[in-house]
Amino acid sequence: MANGQQNKDLLEKVFDDCNAIALYLDRFGNIFLCNKKTEELTGVTRETLIGKHWFGALCPDSSMEIKQQLFKAVVDDSFNYKRPNIFEGTLTDRTKNDLAISWNISPLLNANDEMEGVLLLGSDITLLQERETSMQNIDATLKNIISNIKEFALYAINLEGNITYYGMGAELMFGWKRDEIIFKHVSMIHAYDDVAYKLPFILEQVMQQGEYELETFLIKKDGTSFPVILNVSKFISSDTILGYIFMAKDITEQKRLEYQIFQSEKMAAVGQLAAGMSHEINNPLFVISGKINLLLANKRFGNKLKSDLKAIETQAQRIRSLVDRVLVFARKTPPQAVDLDINKVIKNVLPLLAYHKLPSHKIHIIKYFSDNLLLIRGDIHQLQEIFLNLFINACQAMEKGGTLTIKTNRLDDTFAEITISDTGNGIAPINLKNMFMPFFSTKKDGTGLGLSICYSIIKNHNGTIDVRSQLNQGTTFIIKLPFIKKGG
Amino acid sequence: MILKVLVVDDEAPVREMFEELLKKEDFRISAVATGEEALETVKKEDFDVVLLDIKLPGMSGLEALKMLKNLKPNMIVIMITGFGYDDELIRKSKEYGCAGYIGKNMPITQILSNFKLYIKNAKETIK
Repeated sequence: MANGQQNKDLLEKVFDDCNAIALYLDRFGNIFLCNKKTEELTGVTRETLIGKHWFGALCPDSSMEIKQQLFKAVVDDSFNYKRPNIFEGTLTDRTKNDLAISWNISPLLNANDEMEGVLLLGSDITLLQERETSMQNIDATLKNIISNIKEFALYAINLEGNITYYGMGAELMFGWKRDEIIFKHVSMIHAYDDVAYKLPFILEQVMQQGEYELETFLIKKDGTSFPVILNVSKFISSDTILGYIFMAKDITEQKRLEYQIFQSEKMAAVGQLAAGMSHEINNPLFVISGKINLLLANKRFGNKLKSDLKAIETQAQRIRSLVDRVLVFARKTPPQAVDLDINKVIKNVLPLLAYHKLPSHKIHIIKYFSDNLLLIRGDIHQLQEIFLNLFINACQAMEKGGTLTIKTNRLDDTFAEITISDTGNGIAPINLKNMFMPFFSTKKDGTGLGLSICYSIIKNHNGTIDVRSQLNQGTTFIIKLPFIKKGG
Repeated sequence: MILKVLVVDDEAPVREMFEELLKKEDFRISAVATGEEALETVKKEDFDVVLLDIKLPGMSGLEALKMLKNLKPNMIVIMITGFGYDDELIRKSKEYGCAGYIGKNMPITQILSNFKLYIKNAKETIK
């Protein structure tokens, strides 16, 4: 017995040095030994605990019943089947807080392989568990954030090339729903050529460099391809490659802007060239036409020579018109929206009619300008082009002379109305509906672009253009443009 | 009364063309090639009208216009251009006091009739 007491003292010392709850239960489940840590955590002295049944002493009512039952079952299991067990349970501490305890339960057998008791070692894992829970929360939040990213598409493939992850951004970008595409082959969104030739190269780069970024095209559900910046990286779990992660950013808009800038720079260069050229061409043309004019006035020349001279002048005029058109085309710099007094715009256009070979001396121009200030937000060059086009058309329709009536007025709270009427040939009803179609012209040498340009310019200014006409009575164009309400 | 016109254009054929055309219309013509020469000439001699090219070597047409009008505010200055119609140039030349604007791309008869019209209008304004 002295030996037994020595063993017990030794065990007690070892127990007390142990920084975990240590309990020795006898074969009936009563507490035979417990340690300092147990006293500290529970606030119950070992004198009170020893001899009590462990279940009643350490698992008071405040603990969760199910866990108690489970714990009991596990301990009983160790008793009955003489095998070690691990269990995560709870314990109420001295301040009545539940502690999370990881229990290590080992049966103690004597030399005859008979049950002597059970050793319970319980480590307080409350903090650990809290940390794990918060990690899990962070994990879930991150997953949620990632799958909800809309700015770029995030998707992953496995080594067979099947899509294993497909986020919200990808749904928006490609148009495929997750259910339609998950576990399908990546060629659903990568062009066939890409998958066959480009992708192996990309994946090889990823293997070597860890990640790879490139500009390429991907394919939407409707079959259209669009430009992206694609970032590809490895998807690794415990040193094994499971697949690849793709992050695609749609750069359609960026490309469009780049193209627009390129276009407008090109147009500016063309404009400069055209202005320079027109000056260089107009100077000699002026001299040619001037000389012809003087020769035509010479009474000594016969009719044949005069008709030849007129032919030369006609061709010179053709070159002049061509240069003018190139200038107008070249001045199509990006539209600039400014506040324009529509009456002023029209007034400024009228003198330009002098630049066109028109029977203007036979044409009477009547202007009814609105007294209200009608400010329109738009591009002055584009609007001038519309009015010039329509005035020229009107004059050309009145070869024998007539009246061009220009009216501006405030139609309602939103629109200003500009009507341009002539008393010319009019337009046949069959042609009326094609008036604004590109390349449609009833004129002998018309390009059919004038009215279609008018139409698109007015549309760009959020307005409308309509035409009414009666054969041999005349034509009226009605333009409606939204005006700016001051102070509103 | 025969009006005295000074033509300013750096291209000799253009200059001579204007001389020829306007002589026929009973104007008395002198011609120089640059804005600087125009200023010198105007200092020595009175002109009723200056027909001034907008694109000149050295002093630009617009600068010459400004200085000519400073020198003789009642002298009529009409601009000529080979650039076709240009709002910005028209706006500026009007600001500096030009009486009109002629494009070399206009039909000759139009150039002559506009030239006379501008002079008529300008004279009425001065009166």
